[in-house]
Amino acid sequence: MTAVRVEDVWFTYEHEPVLRGASFEVAPGSFTALIGPNGAGKSTLLRILLGLLKPERGRVEIFGSPPGGHRSRAAGGSHPIGYVAQRVRLPSGFPISVAEVALMGRYGRLGLFHAPGALDRARAADALARVGMAEHARRRFSDLSGGQQQRVLIARALAGEPRLLLLDEPTAGLDPAARARFYALVCDLQHAQGLTVLCASHDVEVVSEHVDRLVLLDREVRAAGAPREVLASSALAQAYTFPAPHDHGADGA
Amino acid sequence: MSEFLAYGFAQRALATGVLLGLSCAVLAFFVVLRRMAFIGVGISHAALGGVAIGVVLGVSPLLAAMAFSVGVAWVIGWISGRGEISEDTTIGVFFPTAMALGVALISLSPTYRQDLVGYLFGNILSVRAVDVWILAGLATVSLGILAAFFKEFLFLGVDEEAARAAGVPAEPLRYLLLTVLAVTIVASIKLVGIVLVSAFLVVPAATGQAVAASMRGMLAVAIGCALASVAGGLWLSWLWDLPSGASIVLLSAALFFAAVVAGRIRRR
Repeated sequence: MTAVRVEDVWFTYEHEPVLRGASFEVAPGSFTALIGPNGAGKSTLLRILLGLLKPERGRVEIFGSPPGGHRSRAAGGSHPIGYVAQRVRLPSGFPISVAEVALMGRYGRLGLFHAPGALDRARAADALARVGMAEHARRRFSDLSGGQQQRVLIARALAGEPRLLLLDEPTAGLDPAARARFYALVCDLQHAQGLTVLCASHDVEVVSEHVDRLVLLDREVRAAGAPREVLASSALAQAYTFPAPHDHGADGA
Repeated sequence: MSEFLAYGFAQRALATGVLLGLSCAVLAFFVVLRRMAFIGVGISHAALGGVAIGVVLGVSPLLAAMAFSVGVAWVIGWISGRGEISEDTTIGVFFPTAMALGVALISLSPTYRQDLVGYLFGNILSVRAVDVWILAGLATVSLGILAAFFKEFLFLGVDEEAARAAGVPAEPLRYLLLTVLAVTIVASIKLVGIVLVSAFLVVPAATGQAVAASMRGMLAVAIGCALASVAGGLWLSWLWDLPSGASIVLLSAALFFAAVVAGRIRRR
């Protein structure tokens, strides 16, 4: 069974095609990066996988089930998705602790009207330990560096005991060294726990060093395969090339 | 203080103030977290339009204000939720429009203008026994809702996208929080008035944030600040013959500035 199957997915936003027949698969236990220029449809595709958007056409499956299925059986769901987006922006100095942020990863499993218990706190503490943030559990989340905050958000996702981790530009705003450390951590977690990871990223060079597979998306899938193959393909250069300036003279303007 | 509390009107005012102060303080925690202070300003000023509609239709002005404010809160939530117009722009349109409606309608009823001052600046000393029970019911329901969905409101406030992805029903809870906000605002109008109620929905939590090291501490300080402001403000208003709303808000602002100074000293 594949972890993620995307088959001929179309999506239009305000009459503008965002996805045009995108198709690819992600193998269980693999680390795949979804790369592509701005506006390529990467975040839209992740939101479709989360069940937050519905494709106009096509089929999407997460471990054989339609997206969003994990949410309807939140308590004890069989294959929840962990999700980490770009940085969280709290009001300056808001006193939420690192441990409280990590505990939120359990809320989806608990469902409404169920308060977190000792098991949930233990899972959140364990997740913080796995990303090397256990010693910071009592600190204010807003006092951490950007890289540390992203580690805590990974811990929050892990606390939900996911089989699939979806990351949407998780290193935006981080310096190059912090980006490299972040991807190395994700790679370690993937190998240690057999996690399937799908990460939308702009960091083509850095992310390529850690992933098993690259999927080049530019509204449709232009290339997919081992990093070396995709990086060498002409599709990559084409996707990241700016369109030629419009020739006003030709229009007679 | 004991002399002041010997009066029946003072006991009713204190009981009402404590209940509303408690609701406002807990709600203020989410207002600060979700940066909803401007919505509070918009809804409270829109309440004037509701009061005026109540006057014109001959129904209870506070009930009309509650229905109108909940409606305005939902419309603001709906328009800004579509993403085409930002939330602050939507509030900027509705806030003066609803106030202008209120001013226009009230101008048609000259005999009502004196009561208007009570709605604008609060007159908690005129609270009747039946009002205490109604406000107690509203405060209990508001606090019950905030407690029941505390973890979901917290998750949505910290990271809405991740909360949605985890299955938190973001849209219904957004409208529920707007409803609680509108109802609490209108219920608090007797306490501090339309003009000042929005301060009461921000200042206690801001005081807690300035001085507390944890979320629990922030909530505890916010509640303590709200209750101290209500009790102290009512007493000062009786002692110096000041409007109750103004003295409550001024006292809570004084506590805020003291907390900011205390917080800075502690961090050194």
